[in-house]
Amino acid sequence: TVRPKNEVEHKQLCAFGEYVAEILPKYIQQVQVTCFNELELLIHPDGIIPVLTFLRDHTNAQFKSLADLTAVDVPSRQYRFEIVYNLLSLRFNSRIRVKTYTDELTPVDSAVPVHKAANWYEREVWDMFGVFFANHPDLRRILTDYGFEGHPFRKDFPLSGYVEV
Amino acid sequence: MFMFSLQTTGLVGLAVAENPHERLRILYTKILGVLQNIPKDAAYRKYTEQIVNERFDLVKKETDVQKLQDKLNSGQIEEVILQAENELSLARKMLQWKPWEPLVEEPPSNQWKWPI
Repeated sequence: TVRPKNEVEHKQLCAFGEYVAEILPKYIQQVQVTCFNELELLIHPDGIIPVLTFLRDHTNAQFKSLADLTAVDVPSRQYRFEIVYNLLSLRFNSRIRVKTYTDELTPVDSAVPVHKAANWYEREVWDMFGVFFANHPDLRRILTDYGFEGHPFRKDFPLSGYVEV
Repeated sequence: MFMFSLQTTGLVGLAVAENPHERLRILYTKILGVLQNIPKDAAYRKYTEQIVNERFDLVKKETDVQKLQDKLNSGQIEEVILQAENELSLARKMLQWKPWEPLVEEPPSNQWKWPI
């Protein structure tokens, strides 16, 4: 069986995506709505804090809850890491995804001033991928062992690691 | 002292607001004042002025708190006040960030291509 297509929700998400893209043309590079009715905003990395604050504070877009903060490693690209923020609006019961890009050496603005929940998520992204977050209150390893070298979730890190255990 | 009849908002950490109309009036006038400094053709200014003016008119017309909550259809009146405060801080930050300017930098051509 196939999930039935919800055209109404799709149209609403497209309209909202165009609304946000009209208000923030300085940072938003692309807006897309997947076939499963998920809205994604593709951002320039300078615009993380403006876009996240806008989505949190604006009356038409009260995305007060940061559901997830992850990274995706695509080694063939120039900017290999794609940072993904998943936000939830409790007032309007809708979700949105915000994506940015960076490479291994460029730091990215921390989302902690906007959403306190981003603290441990950013620590995890730093530990697992090596993406440095500027202005983070406490950026240190969170999941790997104390003397662990390397960033395990990168695609060039071997499955059973470099050290025999 | 018993004028606000010992109600609670039902939400943790959000106190009952006495005289919400006054507070909302002050907040909306401040927001409109901040928005005057943004260029007139910016979409943010257009849409936010629309929202603020709609809510301001409703606040001016309706004196009963319960009916105002129903008309605004946006949760408790204290939540509306909180939202107006957020909108005010956002407007002030928008003045610094100026997001209505054109795109700051184009991405590399294969950046958002999926599947690779």
